[in-house]
Amino acid sequence: MYRYDEFDAAFVSGRTAQFTDQINRRISGELSEDQFRPLRLMNGLYLQLHAYMLRIAVPYGTLSSRQMRKLAHIARTYDRGYGHFTTRQNIQFNWPKLKDVPAILRELGSVEMHSIQTSGNCIRNTTTDQFAGAAADEIIDPRPVAEIIRQWSSLHPEFSYLPRKFKIAMSGSPNDRAAIRFHDIGLQAATNAAGDIGWEVWVGGGLGRTPMIGKMINSFVPNEHLLAYLESIMRVYNRYGRRDNKFKARIKILVHEEGLETIKGQVEAEFAEVRGGVLTLPAEEVDRITTYFAPPQFKAQPATRIDVAYESIIDPAYGRWLDNNINSHREPGYASVTISLKPVGGAPGDATDTQMDVVADLAERYSFDELRVTHEQNLVLPHVAVADLRAVYDALVGSGLAEGNTGLITDMICCPGLDFCALANARSIPIAQEISRTFAEPKRQAEIGDLKIKISGCINACGHHHVGHIGILGVEKKGGELYQITLGGDATEQASVGKIIGPGFEAENVPGAIETLVDTYIAKRESADETFIQAYRRLGEAPFKEALYGNA
Amino acid sequence: MGMPKLVTVQPAHDKLRALGILALNGMFDEMDAVGVLRYATSDVLPGDLAIVSSFGADSAVLLHLVAQVDPSMPVYFLETGKHFAETLAYVETLKKHLGLINIHAIHPDQADVQRFDPAGTLWETDPDSCCHIRKTEPLEPITEQYGGWVTGRKRFQTVERGVLPHFELTSDDRIKVNPLAYFSDADVNKYKIEHGLPEHPLFAKGYKSIGCAPCTSVVAEGEDPRAGRWRGLNKKECGIHFDFNGAIAKPVTAAAKHTLWKDGAFIADPFHDWSETSDPATASYTHVPLSVFLANREAFLANPHPLGLLVSPGERIEDVEADLGRFASVAIKFPAFSDGRGYSSARLLTQRYHYANEIRAIGDVLQDQIPLMRRCGINAFVVTHEPTREALIEDRLPEVALFYQPVGATEVPVGTRPFLRRAS
Repeated sequence: MYRYDEFDAAFVSGRTAQFTDQINRRISGELSEDQFRPLRLMNGLYLQLHAYMLRIAVPYGTLSSRQMRKLAHIARTYDRGYGHFTTRQNIQFNWPKLKDVPAILRELGSVEMHSIQTSGNCIRNTTTDQFAGAAADEIIDPRPVAEIIRQWSSLHPEFSYLPRKFKIAMSGSPNDRAAIRFHDIGLQAATNAAGDIGWEVWVGGGLGRTPMIGKMINSFVPNEHLLAYLESIMRVYNRYGRRDNKFKARIKILVHEEGLETIKGQVEAEFAEVRGGVLTLPAEEVDRITTYFAPPQFKAQPATRIDVAYESIIDPAYGRWLDNNINSHREPGYASVTISLKPVGGAPGDATDTQMDVVADLAERYSFDELRVTHEQNLVLPHVAVADLRAVYDALVGSGLAEGNTGLITDMICCPGLDFCALANARSIPIAQEISRTFAEPKRQAEIGDLKIKISGCINACGHHHVGHIGILGVEKKGGELYQITLGGDATEQASVGKIIGPGFEAENVPGAIETLVDTYIAKRESADETFIQAYRRLGEAPFKEALYGNA
Repeated sequence: MGMPKLVTVQPAHDKLRALGILALNGMFDEMDAVGVLRYATSDVLPGDLAIVSSFGADSAVLLHLVAQVDPSMPVYFLETGKHFAETLAYVETLKKHLGLINIHAIHPDQADVQRFDPAGTLWETDPDSCCHIRKTEPLEPITEQYGGWVTGRKRFQTVERGVLPHFELTSDDRIKVNPLAYFSDADVNKYKIEHGLPEHPLFAKGYKSIGCAPCTSVVAEGEDPRAGRWRGLNKKECGIHFDFNGAIAKPVTAAAKHTLWKDGAFIADPFHDWSETSDPATASYTHVPLSVFLANREAFLANPHPLGLLVSPGERIEDVEADLGRFASVAIKFPAFSDGRGYSSARLLTQRYHYANEIRAIGDVLQDQIPLMRRCGINAFVVTHEPTREALIEDRLPEVALFYQPVGATEVPVGTRPFLRRAS
C-alpha cells in the first residue's frame, strides 16, 4: 500500500489546518454560506437540512486495517455507530457535528486519510477495480498510476473550479469491474504494438439525468505522457464546458454537443503544446510509486483444493459463500474474498463500527493487512490463503457479514434516497430491503444466477440504475413515490444503458414486478447458463413488457 | 385589518444574518434543548430574545427550560379573549411554580375586534381572520422589538413541522429558536413527569394541543396531536409560525480607497475600465475588452498610450497571442469565484506565451482563491471584499504551502524530492 512520507503528511495536515480555519470563519460569520459552500464541498462536507454529511476518500478503494479501525472509531465517537460505503469506493458519515469536523480530519490524518476533493466541482477520487493487484485476469495493477493521479489532482490550482465534478476510473484488466465507460474519463490498461503497457482513454461517459457511454478518445497513451494528456482534457473541459446550466455542465454534454472529433482535435492540439513539458512522468517515479504496491510476501501454499460441491452438502451456507464470494487470485493457493454488505433486509453498503473492527482484524490476520471497498458497495479481503477461507467465513458469520450473495439478485447497489438525501424524490433503501426479503431464499437466488439490480431515489442516479440489468428509479409523481423500471443496462466493457420498460409502479408493487421479470426470464432462458442480461439481449424487451403490462 | 406594513424593518443583527443559521444546526445534539436555549441566550442573542407561549398542554416544558436558563426572559401570552378559563388559571399556576418574573399578556386591538368581530363569532365564519386580529397583528409590534424568539414547536406535531430545525432565520432577519424541535410526544411527557411539572387542567380530559376555546377539540388516541386545532378546516397554523426561510443575506461590503493589491500593498490603480465613450485611438491606461481590441486592432496598435487587456471567461487568449507585448496589464475577469475559466487563461498567458507584465484578477476575488490564482501566474488582485483585504494586509491567506503538481509558474521542486512535489 502507499505510505505517506513527510511531504504527504505535511500536505494533509496543512489542508486540515486550512479547512479548520475556514470552518471557524464560517462559525464566526465572516464567511457567508454561499462562500463557505464550495470550500466545504471541496473537503467532502455536505450540509443537509439538519446535519452535515462528511465523505471520506478511500483512494482507489484501498484500506489498511489501521485505517478501517479508525473509521470504526469515528463511527462510534462522532457518528451514530455506522458508516455508509459508496459507489465511488468512499465512505460517508451522516451525522457529524460541524464543530467536530476538524477533530475528525485530524484523526483521519493520523492514519493517512483525508476528505480532500470528495465533493465539489473538482477532480474526485480515482476509482478502480477492487481486485487490483490480485485478479488473475489483470494486465497491470492500476493503483500506482491511480496514486500518481491522486497526487497530481490534489488541490490543482487550475482545476479546482471546474464547470462540474469530474470522475476518473481505471481498470487494469480487460474485464471492467470499475464501470470506466460511465465516468468522465475512463482509463483501460492496454498494450501497444511494441508490447508496452499504456492506457486506452475513454471520455464523456456518465449517468445522472443524461446517461452516456464514454467514447474512446485515444487508443494508447503511454505512462510518461498520461498526466499531460489528462491535463489537456481537463483544460479543454475547464475552458469550454458549459457553465450556464448545472445539468448540462458535465464533460459528457460537451463531448455530445461538440462531437468527439471536435473535442479530440482540441485535446490533441493542447496535448501537442504540453507534451514533453513539466508533466512528463519519469519512469523512475512510476517505479518508485509501484514499489509501494508490490505484491505481499505470498507463501507457497500446500495444494489446497476446496470441493465446493462437497462443502455445499455439508454446510449449504458456506458452499454458497464459496460459490459466489470468492474471486480467483493470480497467486496459486490464494483467493480474494468479497464481504457482502447486503444482508437480507439491510441497508446496502452500511457497516457498523463493530463490523468494521471485525473486518479490520480479518484483514490483519488473513489478508496481509489489506482491504478494498468495491463500487458495488461491498468490502474485499484481496489476498486470503485458500486454507484460511473457512476460518474467515466463520468469523464473518459471527458478525452478520457472511451473506453469500455476491453478484446475485440481492447484491444491489442502492443510493441513500429520501431517508437521508436532500436531493432525493423517493425512498430507495426500503425498496432494496423489500426486494431482498422477497428473494431471500438462497435456492431461488442460485436459480436466478447473475443479476444486477441497481436503485436510485432520483434522476441523479447515484444508485447507477441506468446500468442495472434491472434498474429502478424513484420519481415523484403527484406528491407520491413512483418507481420506473429499466432493463438491459450494463456497466462492464459491454456497456449499455437500460431502457424504461413502461409506466412506473407504486412502492408496494415493485417487488412483485421484479418477480414477474425474473419469472419471465427463467421461463424463457435457453438454459441455466444463459444469464438474465444475455437472455434480455437475445429476447428484447417484448416478453418482459408483456409479462408486466399484458398484451395491450 | 390594517394595510400591510410598507416600512422596511431595519435588521438589527448584521452579524447574525451573515452567520448562517443552518451552521448552528450542526452544533447541538438533537435532544440538547437546554444547550440550544442557553447558547441562544448567551451567545446568539443575549438580552434580545423573547418567548411567546400559549400556556397550552405542553407549554410547561419550554417554560421550565426558560426558568433554568434565565427566569427573567420576557414571556408573552396572547390573551385572545377566547381562551378556556382553565388556561388563564394555568398561566398563574406556572408563573408561581417556575418562578418566572417577566410574563406579559398581549391583547388584541379593541378597534379591530369591534370592527371585524363585533358579535364574537368570527372564529366560526373566518378563522384565519380571527387568528390574524387576535394573534398575528398584536404580536407584530412585540416581535419587532426582539432579534429573535423561542418557540415550543416540535417536529412530530404535524406533517408540516416534520422538517423543523433548532435554529431558523425568518425572512425579516429574525431568529427562531426551537429547542424542542426533536422532542417526541413521549419525550415531552417523560420530561413533565421527571420534573414534576403541573399539568394543564384540560390535558387529562383529552386535549393534546390547546389554543382558543372555540377552535380546540379533543384529540382521539393515535391522532396527530394538533388534529384537535381548527378541526374540520384545512388550517394547521394560526399564522404566527409561517416562514421557514433559511436564507442568508450577504454581508455588506464597505467601499475602499485603494482596491489594487500588488507587491504586498494596496496601491493607487492607474487603470480604468473601458466605457462606451472610450476611443481606441486615444484611450490611455484602460483595460480594453478582448473583443473590442480585435474589432479595432489597427487603431489600438497605433495608439501610443499604455493599455491593458480585459479577458472575460470564454474569450480565447490565443486570439491576441501576437499582440500581448502591447499590454502593460492583463485583467482576468472572475464574474463569480466559482467560475474557474480564468485560471486556464492565466496559465496560458504565463506559461505558453511567457507574458511577464501585470496579470490581475478582477471581479469576485476572495482570500480562499487567491493562493490558487497566484500559482497560475496572477500577480495583482482588485479586492473589495473586506475580510479578504484584511487577510492580505495581515498576510494570513488560507493556504496549503505544499503542492503536488508542477504548474510551472511559481513553485520550486522540493530539494531532492521526486516528481510532483513542490513548495511555494
